Amino acid sequence: MSEPVTLAVPSKGRLKEQVDGFFAKAGVALQQTAGARGYRATVAGHPGIDVMLLSSSEIAASLAAGDVHLGITGEDLIREAVPQIEGRVTLLKPLGFGFADVVVAVPRSWIDVSSMADLDDVCAAYAHRHRRRLRVATKYTQLTRSFFARAGISDYRIVPSAGATEGAPTAGTAEAIVDITTTGSTLKANGLKILDDGVILKSQAQFAMSQAADWPDDAREAAAAFLRQLNASTQ
Amino acid sequence: MPAFPTYDAADIAALDRQADAILGVFAKHGYQRREPSILQPAAIFVDRSGEEIRRRTFELSDPSGQELCLRPDLTIPTCKWQVESGGYPARLCYHGLAFRYRPGDAAQFHQAGAELLGLAGRAKGDIEMVSLAVEALRAAGLKEFDVKVGDLGLFATLVDALEVPARWRGRLKRHFWRSGYFDALLARMVAGEHSDAQRALDALHGLKLMELKPAIEALIDREGEAPLGGRTRAEIVERLTLQVSDGAAPRLDADVARMITGFLKISGPAEASLEEIRELTRPVATRMVKPLAAMAERLHALKALGIADDGVRFVAHFGRNLEYYTGFVFEFWSRDGTEVAGGGRYDSLMESLGAPKGTTAVGCAIRTEALLAIVRGGR
Repeated sequence: MSEPVTLAVPSKGRLKEQVDGFFAKAGVALQQTAGARGYRATVAGHPGIDVMLLSSSEIAASLAAGDVHLGITGEDLIREAVPQIEGRVTLLKPLGFGFADVVVAVPRSWIDVSSMADLDDVCAAYAHRHRRRLRVATKYTQLTRSFFARAGISDYRIVPSAGATEGAPTAGTAEAIVDITTTGSTLKANGLKILDDGVILKSQAQFAMSQAADWPDDAREAAAAFLRQLNASTQ
Repeated sequence: MPAFPTYDAADIAALDRQADAILGVFAKHGYQRREPSILQPAAIFVDRSGEEIRRRTFELSDPSGQELCLRPDLTIPTCKWQVESGGYPARLCYHGLAFRYRPGDAAQFHQAGAELLGLAGRAKGDIEMVSLAVEALRAAGLKEFDVKVGDLGLFATLVDALEVPARWRGRLKRHFWRSGYFDALLARMVAGEHSDAQRALDALHGLKLMELKPAIEALIDREGEAPLGGRTRAEIVERLTLQVSDGAAPRLDADVARMITGFLKISGPAEASLEEIRELTRPVATRMVKPLAAMAERLHALKALGIADDGVRFVAHFGRNLEYYTGFVFEFWSRDGTEVAGGGRYDSLMESLGAPKGTTAVGCAIRTEALLAIVRGGR
């Protein structure tokens, strides 16, 4: 048989549970490969598909690099890993779970700021007054840069944040943040508010295909057969 | 040019000869050579240039965790050196590698440049710098070129002279060179659509000046334990006070918007363009006299250097797409359309690096490798 199609799915966390539930509904049964310590699996009825369990952000990076053919992960992570998505990764199917918005949030005490245009004014005034750039904490460096560039904002600097980004303004390590939110309650609890036009991306889990991977005809057929099964059960 | 160039003996000899010629001109006019370190602390660039430059900068960290970068330009470290050593006016020059991520092109390239720092007379400084660039390009063997000039100060003066709601003046000045974005911005202002924090403003209208500060502070307090980031309450008070001064529903007058649009469309032979500006801005003529005269003087200087009038093009929306320019800007183009040099006035940079308030700066940089290719190819 030829090289299998590799499908990367989340190995842990809330997204893994949701993917498991989705597969169960679609009648897709994953079978752990013996001896692979839970990092490999096969799919009943789809012998051409080899499943790899990876972290959500590794899946996005692997799709970008062409290390896997197919992957399920958050659109936010894919777009962050692949800023120019056209021709590199195709989003085949939004999966209807894992909803989250990537947003620009500022301190609620900034009562004079409700839009990106306001933030632009504030960034310029801040750079002038403090002789340094206003700091935006985020793990979404690429998404932030392109969104801020579209809004005409350049007087700022990104502070990379690995976690607990919403605490950065309180901790004094940044003035504003770009982060993911589902209900907004964590932002609120940290004294932050989302800008009116500050939604960068409405994200959800995506079934995505890497165009950087090799796609011989039999691989395409195996992938298409798998996608048909997902589609049939979720129409 | 390949992504990872290797220079052979002939290339090196040619680059060295060209550098000698250019640096010779700089030295003749009293410019002293400085060679900043290739590795620089990242912060001085990140805090001065903004994210647009940063996305093209090679950053790395040393084993102690200090954030470094390969210098994306030599201007900022050269200016920083001068701020630390003091003594103005200072004439400094450099020649060396700069590093920028440029898809499809080599990330490292040679630059020769000069900086005139802390000369009180701006008009004199502008002319000295553009003349220096002309002489250096000629010494490097470039005979024919076109000059493109602009002045961020002209547009700023126009905006200040016109009836524009105070809150929007900064926005107009910051974005005039972003053509698509600017048109949309202007249209929103004319329509009176503003996305400013309206709720806070509604609560403040009708208050007397002395009532404003406590009212604004009360509004901030109402948000409870919310952080401020590095912003102070005074900054919020200041911004809202300015916005309240515009009245309840500010709009940009359509005639004013038309004059701004008309101004930014002006582009062509420099002398004729200045005449167009004079005509267009007649209603605010008294305010425009000074910056227009300054531009006329620069054109006069270029003419005296033997550059034909049709070789100088004025472009009103020309801002060199870089954030730190503040006044006169110029670029030199080869006849086959390659940019070989550019520069201008960036008066706010020195102060942001810690120089005394009002320390002026004007400079130029020559892309020596592009220039060499043109001179060698006889283009």
